[in-house]
Order: sequence, then C-alpha cells, then structure tokens
Amino acid sequence: MRQKAVKTIIILTCVLFVAIMLIMPLFTVITYAFRQGFKVFFSAIADEYAVKALKLTLLTTVFTVTVNTVFGLFASWSVTKFQFRGKRILTTLIDIPFAISPVIAGLIFILVFGRIGWAYPLLKAYDVRIVFAAPGIILASIFVTLPFVSRELTTLMQSQGSDEEEAAALFGAKGLTIFRKVTLPHIKWGLLYGVILCSARALGEFGAVSVVSGHLRGKTNTLPLHVEILFNEFHLTAAFAVSSTLVAIALVILVLRNLAEYRLKKEENADVR
Amino acid sequence: MTKYIKNNERKWDVSAMIRLKKRSRGVIPGFRLSMGVTITMLSLIALIPLLSVLLNLSGVTPGEFWRIVTDRQLVASYKVSLSCALIASTANFLFGVPLAWTLTRYRFPFRRALDGLIELPFALPTAVAGISLTTLYADTGLIGGLFNKIDVKISYTTIGITIAMTFIGIPFVVRSIQPVLEKLDVRCEEAAVTLGASGSRIFFKVIFPEIFPAAIAGFGLAFARCLGEYGSVVFIAGNIPYKTQITPLLIVSKLEQFNYAAATSIALVMIIFSFIILFAINALQSKIDAMARG
Amino acid sequence: MYVELRGINKKFGSFKASDDISFSIDKGKLVGLLGPSGSGKTTILRMIAGLEPPDSGDVIVDGVRVNDAPPGERGVGFVFQNYALFRYMTVFDNIAFGLNVQKRDKKHIKERVQELIELTGLSGMEKRRPHQLSGGQKQRVAFARALAPNPRLLLLDEPFAAIDAKVRKELRAWLKNTISKVGITSVFVTHDQDEAIEVADEIIIINNGRIEQKGSPSEIYKSPTTPFAARFIGQSFAVSNYDALRGFEKDDNFPEAILRPEFITVSKLNALLYPNSTQDGVVENVFFRGNLSELRVDVAGVKISAYRSLEDDEIYVGEKVGALIYQLFLVNDREVKLIRNSLLRDENSVFI
Repeated sequence: MRQKAVKTIIILTCVLFVAIMLIMPLFTVITYAFRQGFKVFFSAIADEYAVKALKLTLLTTVFTVTVNTVFGLFASWSVTKFQFRGKRILTTLIDIPFAISPVIAGLIFILVFGRIGWAYPLLKAYDVRIVFAAPGIILASIFVTLPFVSRELTTLMQSQGSDEEEAAALFGAKGLTIFRKVTLPHIKWGLLYGVILCSARALGEFGAVSVVSGHLRGKTNTLPLHVEILFNEFHLTAAFAVSSTLVAIALVILVLRNLAEYRLKKEENADVR
Repeated sequence: MTKYIKNNERKWDVSAMIRLKKRSRGVIPGFRLSMGVTITMLSLIALIPLLSVLLNLSGVTPGEFWRIVTDRQLVASYKVSLSCALIASTANFLFGVPLAWTLTRYRFPFRRALDGLIELPFALPTAVAGISLTTLYADTGLIGGLFNKIDVKISYTTIGITIAMTFIGIPFVVRSIQPVLEKLDVRCEEAAVTLGASGSRIFFKVIFPEIFPAAIAGFGLAFARCLGEYGSVVFIAGNIPYKTQITPLLIVSKLEQFNYAAATSIALVMIIFSFIILFAINALQSKIDAMARG
Repeated sequence: MYVELRGINKKFGSFKASDDISFSIDKGKLVGLLGPSGSGKTTILRMIAGLEPPDSGDVIVDGVRVNDAPPGERGVGFVFQNYALFRYMTVFDNIAFGLNVQKRDKKHIKERVQELIELTGLSGMEKRRPHQLSGGQKQRVAFARALAPNPRLLLLDEPFAAIDAKVRKELRAWLKNTISKVGITSVFVTHDQDEAIEVADEIIIINNGRIEQKGSPSEIYKSPTTPFAARFIGQSFAVSNYDALRGFEKDDNFPEAILRPEFITVSKLNALLYPNSTQDGVVENVFFRGNLSELRVDVAGVKISAYRSLEDDEIYVGEKVGALIYQLFLVNDREVKLIRNSLLRDENSVFI
C-alpha cells in the first residue's frame, strides 16, 4: 500500500515537472502563434524574409549534417577499430564543441576569417566572404554539432567490438567492403539517430550563428535569428508563428528519434539472444 | 605573422601526439585514411579556429588581460552565470534521478510520450525556447502572472535565467542515468529484498551508489551547457548590467563594439573553464566504464 | 614440415607473450596448443594467422616465409572463440563471404557453400541469422565459413569454450572426424586438457610464453618432461613430505612430488593385494563423481586423492584403509623424474 503511494507520488511529481518545464513552453508557442487567427499566422510564415530564412536554415542543416556524418564515420572508425597512443586525447578533443559556449564557436570563426582574422588577407585576395555570410553560418553550425554523429557511433561500435571486422579482414576483404557489409548493418540505426540529433541542433542553432551571421535580413538570417528579430521588434504573434513551424519540425524530429532509438534497442536485444 | 602560425601549429600538431603504437594496429584496414580524415577535419573545423583565440591574444599583455577579465561588470556576470548554472544543474540532478527512475521502472499511461519529450530541449531551437519561456514567465504570462500576484518577478531576473538553464539541462542527467538503470541487475535489488531491506534503503544503499557516477557526469554536462548557453537564456535574462548579464552575452556585446581583445579574453576564460569540466567528466566517464567492465 | 615457427618473440608492453617459440607441424596434422589462460597460446595462433605481427622470428607456411603477407593472403581459415559470425548476414552469406571477397563466380559460390552446409550438417538453415542458431550450430557455421575459401591451414581459437558441456563432447568428436575427412592441417587452442588429449594428434603445452613440451597425447600424459607439464596434466596434486609414503625415499634434489589419483589404489584392509607395499590411511572425504568416487585419504600425514570404482565395496568416511602408491613424479624447478614404488619392485618384479 505504502509502496504504491510512493510510486504514485513519484510519477505525479515527474509528470508535473515535465508539464511545467516542457509542455507549458510548447503550449505557449502554439497559443501565441494562433492568437490573432489563422490569417495572421499564415502571413507570418509566408513572409518573404521568413521563407528566405527557412531556405538558409535548410541549406545550413544539409551541409552540416553531411560534413558531420562523414566526420562521425571516420572518427568513430578510428577510435574504435584501432589501438594507438593518444586515443584518450583524441576522443576528448572531439568532445570539445560539447563543452564550449556556442557564442565562442561563433567568435573563433570571426577570429579566423573576420576582418581581424589571420585568414582575412587570403580571403580578400580571392574575394571570398565567410563571416557575415552563409559559409560562416555553416562553419559555426558544423563546429557546434561536430561530436553528435561521432559520439553516437563510437558508443555503439565500442559495444559491438571488432571481432566481425577482424574475421572479414582475414578473408582479405577491403576496408570499404568490411564497412559496407559488416559494420554498416550494425550501426545504421545509431547513425540515423546521430544524424537526427545533429539536424535538430543545426536547425535550431542560435548563439554561434547569431555571432557570425551579421543579421542581414533576407541574406544571412536563419529561422531562429528571424524569430529573434521579430520578437525584439515586438511582433509577438509573428515570432511565435515562425517558432511554431520550428516546434513542428522539433516534434517530428523527436518522433523520428524515438523510432530510431526503438529500432536500435530492439536490434541490440536481438543480438543478446 | 605567418611564421608565428606555423610554429603555433606545430606545437599543437595532433598527428604527432597521436603516434601509432608500433605495429600493433591489427588487421582491420583503413587506419591511415580514417585517422587522416579525422585529424584533418578536427583540426580545420575545431582545433585551428580554437587556437586562433590564443593567436589573437598574443597582442594582449598579461596585465591588460587581467584587467579585462576582472572588470567589475564581467565579474558580476561570472557570478550570475556560475550561480544560476549551479542551481539549474542541481535542480536537474534532483529531478533527473526520479525522472529516470520513473521512466525506466514504472509503467503508466503516456510513459513513452513522456520519455520522448525529455529530449525536447535538444530538439527545440534555443531561441524558440527563449521567447516562449520569456513570455510564459513574464508578468503578463500564464505562470509569471501567478507569481506576479505574490510580487515575485521571474522574467528579467536571475530566477528566469535559472529556469531557462534548467530547461536546457533536463535531458543531460536523465539520459546519463537511464542506460545505467536499464542495465542494473535486478537481482541486486532482489537480493536486497530477500535480506529484508526496505524500499528507501534499497534505493539509497543499492541503487543510488550505482547511478551516482553517471548522475554526476550528467550534472557536469548540464553545468557546462548551462554556463555556455546563450539562445534560451538571453531573452529571459533582460541583460541588466551587474544584475542579469550572463558571461556569453558580454562576449557578444564586446564583439558588437568591435572590442575583439576583450571578447577574446573573456572567451579564453570560458574555454579554460569548459576544458576543466570536460576533462573532469571524461575522467569520470572512464571510471564508469572501468566499473561497468568490472 | 608444413607450418614452422622459428624463434618467435612477442611482447605486449612489458608483458612477454611469446618467448623464443619454435615448433613445426606436419601436413595434415591436428595440433592442440594447450596452456592455462594468459600463457600466450592464443597469441601464437594470431601470429600464424597474421592478426598479430611477431616482434622477431619467422612464420613459415609450406616453405614460404609469410611474416609480411597480410592475413587475407596467407590462406588460413580462422575460427574465433566467440565465432565472430556476421550477425546481419544469413548462414549462407556468412559462409559465402570469403568467396565473395575473392570474387568467385556465383555458380561456384553456390556449389561450394552447399557442399559445406552438407558437410557441417546445417541443411535447411541457410536462411537463418546467427541469433537464431544454437551454440553448436554457430560453431559449425564458423567452421564452414573458415573452410569455404579452401585454406591451406585451419586455426581454431578455443573452439568449444562457448558451448554447453554436453554438446561440447559431441562436437569434439564431430570436429575431429570432419577435419580428418577434409584433410586440412589444423591448429587449435584450448585450456582444457581433456579436450586437447581427445581431439589433437599432437599437443604443444605452452606456459608463460614458452613451449613446455610437444608430443602425442599419450606421451604428454605418461611422460611429462617439465615440472609444469607434470603439474598441469591430469588431476595432479603436489606433496612435499613424500618420503612419509611407504616405498619412497627423500631425494634432496627434489623438494616436491606430483601424484595423480590413478597412481594410487585404495583397498579395504581385508582385501589388500600387496600388503608389504601398502600403507595404512584414514578416509577423510568421499566425493561421488558419477562413474566413480574420489577418496581423500590421510596417509601418515600426507593428503592424497584416489579413485575407486563404484562396483567395489563402498568405503566410508573415517574408515581405515590400505593405500598403495605405484609411482610418482619428483620435481624441482627444472626437472621431472618418474619414481616407482621401491617395495613394489621387490614384491612383484614383473609389475609393468
């Protein structure tokens, strides 16, 4: 009896916590988005600048996810399939972006490519703009999400071990064959999971992007930056309308993420049997 | 200038630090390629840009640096950032443990939905979280209005900052503990039951010690994230000098004034702090792994 | 001499895994590397396969030094301890993997895999995944997979370690038969002496990275040449005050003696065979071992173990009995010496 009461209290506390901390903010976004009716909502999200911001955001996300997937595959292969000195240092270095403020992530690219940066003369000679332009936004997003895919894959590949790869190598199989036929089937759901997390963060990155973008409306504004501008200009409904599209994307991502995780766990359990 | 960069790069050349243990790499192919790609990408995207911080500070004398980083406004911001992040990650710890427990051990309606929602702060763009929390906790907002009646202001105070940080840190502790709880041998608990232990004793003597290292690692991750967080905090903070300015905000404002030396100096302080947390977590993590291996 | 190792050394950090290992294996032989865990037997196997390079020394297969050849080109088949089956491939694809890597034509692959599936008795399981197989079946798949590309040499790392005790016995016999049917030179690693003695044509005992003894199972069993081999093989137990046993004298060069239960006969006092060489003892414990019972007997302060057939009259704890010790091994740090009971020689000079 007492046990049951304790259980109920714990569950209720948790539900209440989640409701206040997570569901209420979501609820706020939706109610404010529609508070002046559908017409205002649609005009806000169909706004020229909003659409341009969406395009830039998607472009950034595609680039970021591609680069980080490539990095994640190579990095996790390196740290899980081989023994070498300094492995610990390497894994810690890969985790750096996790611990560093996004603002600093933006700052460092200004320090490299901005007007005071050491690469600036070179960029100027070839008339390339990185800071306050799309490449800077993409670079900053890549930095912030660098460890996402690699971390997910490293944990997974570590728990799988490398016996099967070794067995395949004994038959003389080449690296790519081993990866495609032996490793990839193991990690595909984990890979998807990492890609989803990475996309989520890339879509929504604010601090780093805000520092390098220069806030040029219609040119270097991503959706989150567009939300900021609308909010600061007291276009509350428009800000929340645009936000609600991002919320919708976030919810889709959460569902996908849970599906990927569900499949991952299922396969892990199948392996144990 | 170029000469300096070269020297600087060599000093930090990771490929030299990571030397292959002689001829023991086994038979799996692709070591050179994957290592080469990894280190090149890591250097280009993360390490070299990060080292530019040091390069940029080469013109700043230690005295100047000290004056910048001990500026009164900045010190006030350290206090705000550190205290809010500490309270927020402690809150995450305190709520994270029962949350993880509930999600792994109890079965109740909408459990899966609740479990899925935990990652919301990862999936939701921080700016959206920021404006949403600000509105919710403002004097006219749904929750802020309630507190306003008892004369407690949340938005634009350190309470608001703490709430935003708590929001952002929720997934860290929960997701660190969950796998440990899932793998925890139920037989340990059963053994404790057969020895006549009570529910709370089992939790505090048997289960809690098992999940504690993971919970601390989660706490550390949440703390690091809270310290650096910008998007979700900056709206609700109100950014009143000496009162509700967080350190990352000061980097941005120095940048907007084109005061690169100051921005970089503050960044260096934060980077050093992040590194300490990161190394502490990694050390803890390898301890956890060692424990898991038994 | 088909496979030959010459002066192989291998260190992992400061740990010496192989210390001047040299041996050779004749074509078609099934050789067992036997040793306790951590003795370096698996390292030897991995070096033959090319999974681990030796620090110095030569690995020679069929007259050719293969040190620098990658594992895929050595023509070795390897059966891993936990099989390392490709979990995401069917049984068929697992077995076909090596042939696919060699880019053999489809028809050939199909025939070869079918042949091996029949050989290993896996018919009807082609479409299954590893997690749908029992331990014994997994082992057969691993075996078939290793054999598929027609290797010159088959290496097996603890092939029975992950299998239930009952199935293990059947599989041992099966493996020995199948290997002799295929006629492939094979080396397997084991820590289980019963397994080595039952399966191998020849046994190499490894300890601390060194070869202790090489010989046929009966040689290894009957005449150990090193103290380690004497201790390791059989249900051996060591005795220091062996001169208290009737028929044996102290040899100052040998501080210890190694006995095995089969060196001892325990009889009821009224049924002694050789009264003069038999010594009184008290039974301290009786353990039922299924097909026989094991007795622990205190003989003049020396604790010995002996077997007794279940068909003989039962002996009880506390009973006074006669113990006859035929022989024992005297050992010191370097040597082993077989000593027969001196009284028994006088009593019956034709005793074996």
